[in-house]
Amino acid sequence: MSVQPALVARDIDAAATAEGKGTRRRSRRGSEGRSGNSSWSLTIVLLLCAVTVVIPLYVTISMAFKTQSQSVDGNAFSLPAPFSVEGFVTAWTLTDYPRAFLVSILITAGSVVGTIILGALASFAISRNWDRRLFRWSFYYLLGAMFIPFPVVALPQIQLTGLVGLDNPLGVTLLHIMFQLSFSILLFTAFLRSIPAELEESARIDGASTWQTFWQLIFPLLAPMSATVGIFAFLASWNDFMMPSLITSDPSLQTLPVLQNIFQTQFSSNYNVSFASYLMAMAPAIIVFLFTQRWVMEGVTQGAVKG
Amino acid sequence: MPRSPRRAPRALAASLGLLLTASALAGCAGSGGPETVRFHLSKPEAIPYFNELISEYNASQDGVEVVLDSSSNLQAGFLRGNPPDLGLLNYNMEMARFMERGALSDLSDMPEAERILPEVQELVDQYATYPGRTSVLPYSVMAASVIYNKEIFEAQGLEVPQTYEELIAVCDALTTAGITPFYGTFQDPWTVAQGFFDYTVGGDVDVAGFYDELDSLGTEVGPESEVSFEKTLAEPVGTMQELIEKYTNSDAPSKTYGDGNLAFARGEAAMYLQGPWAFGEIAKTSPDLDLGTFPLPMTDDPEDLRVRVNIDLAAWIPEASGSKEGAREFLSFLFQQDVMDEYNAAQLGYGTTVDAAPVTDPRILGMKEYYDTADFYQGPSQAIPQTIPAANYLQGVALGGDVESALSTLDGDWARLALRQ
Repeated sequence: MSVQPALVARDIDAAATAEGKGTRRRSRRGSEGRSGNSSWSLTIVLLLCAVTVVIPLYVTISMAFKTQSQSVDGNAFSLPAPFSVEGFVTAWTLTDYPRAFLVSILITAGSVVGTIILGALASFAISRNWDRRLFRWSFYYLLGAMFIPFPVVALPQIQLTGLVGLDNPLGVTLLHIMFQLSFSILLFTAFLRSIPAELEESARIDGASTWQTFWQLIFPLLAPMSATVGIFAFLASWNDFMMPSLITSDPSLQTLPVLQNIFQTQFSSNYNVSFASYLMAMAPAIIVFLFTQRWVMEGVTQGAVKG
Repeated sequence: MPRSPRRAPRALAASLGLLLTASALAGCAGSGGPETVRFHLSKPEAIPYFNELISEYNASQDGVEVVLDSSSNLQAGFLRGNPPDLGLLNYNMEMARFMERGALSDLSDMPEAERILPEVQELVDQYATYPGRTSVLPYSVMAASVIYNKEIFEAQGLEVPQTYEELIAVCDALTTAGITPFYGTFQDPWTVAQGFFDYTVGGDVDVAGFYDELDSLGTEVGPESEVSFEKTLAEPVGTMQELIEKYTNSDAPSKTYGDGNLAFARGEAAMYLQGPWAFGEIAKTSPDLDLGTFPLPMTDDPEDLRVRVNIDLAAWIPEASGSKEGAREFLSFLFQQDVMDEYNAAQLGYGTTVDAAPVTDPRILGMKEYYDTADFYQGPSQAIPQTIPAANYLQGVALGGDVESALSTLDGDWARLALRQ
């Protein structure tokens, strides 16, 4: 680990040198030479971009620690004074946080795993049988689902899930997988086309069945795209409000975003409680992103270049 | 990559298993033991109070187990055929649609139904009725009128106005003293509709009669009809625009409800056209502010003074409920007079029963005489189906738009909706 900062510093130095050569003579002290015109304007643009993320985050955090009377005083940017955790306590009890969190986690985990596995299997089948009409059409059929937003089919879905006893988190999970499938298949098939068929042929010569080829060869190769698909599925499922609110009939199995809805009504605003609650709900998404951002970036570029 | 071929399916199976177990466990919770009554209550401020009542009730007997539900979607519940067993929530146009179609069971045989004030029960019927049934029992009524800052009024030597002329005199005196008479929050369209519009129209027009006629006219509502928004409401809405132009803060178009509560709590205006729900918000900033209420005078006769009411909470039991008996028992428990009185005292509501305790909070005491003599009307903005964006049209009027064209648009929308239904 200790090598890395040195490496980075050398890279920056090298970049500065390259830039300095073209425009003006490089000053003796590297730090001054780095601040060319272009890098300054770029820095400002990047700073502005960062500010759009940092300011709402700052408001969320400071609002969460305010008292109720300070939260409505019209100064969103002020620091909490006195510092209070009453918002967290109220939010924790009103939403029954641990239970709601567990339900949200189960639904999200189920839909992430389900989306990745089903999406990968379907894409593998489709992309390896592209010359057959049935598979080609099923691809378009699955893709067609991207044009059907949930609100359009909400009423029949509510009735259907009610009829078959799926008016619970399991039903929500299945629907999340289904609605996420078309986009995931689009990503997976694009990626699968870049994997040479010879790899599979060599596996077959070694005696691997289709099932083995998929699990031992293709699925590991799909890992970067699986990460991307998984992150999209995670965000869609974790943040979803409408589907769990309509599909789940037992209030004790409701997800966090739906339960948080009670904090904000037309007639009353509990900013400190709502922001404390949003913060607790946001935490997993932020943590997941911190650990997986490298794969997100990789996955996105891979999809972009080779798709 | 060295990987056991079975590992991935195993992970899949494990996660599916987890989910199935979770749903199976949830299934178990419903069967056996005492009868479960799902109690729907969506008013956040009321949840702590009713939570206490529920645990008290659950401990007192073991035939029925009441579970609070504050997050379910009602429409989805009715559609699926498993609505909550007992609902206690705001009664409005949207709720009335369920009762109109017979989705709510008859409660007229319950002793609680006898205790409801007839003029309050009448408010329910103004939305819709179902032949031969009393399916909705009002639990609490909110009376709303002009909220005024007593300190400012006293400092300026002003009396509560009883006629329109006196109102203008008060406004002029305040303006001369450099005080904003009304605090407007027109960025939120609903505050225009439920404040300025409801008070000016309700103070001038017989609201229930007006909507009865509109209903019977249906598709014929328009420039030719005898009763229409354009004809009947032209005068009060014109007055509303005048009051707004002359006597509200100049930055009202960019202010929201939250801004208004804060500004009014800080004494930046003398009057505020909001309901009692704003008291709690104002108290977050200034808990000891001396406030009062009075009906907005729109005529020259003090006899015409009326306050706006809405059914804050009303109880109903759906036909599709699986445990109607348990729900009825719990309903009786909730409708005990002292339980109702305590709720109303805490939430600044008015009682709905013949033996309800009189209100005592000084902030809403100003409306008592009008409520007691049934000099009230339901907000005219609430009688317009939500598919018509009336609040937005009225916001346009508040911002200086043409009154006549806004009202004739309302007429057109009303007739079109009648044609579709």
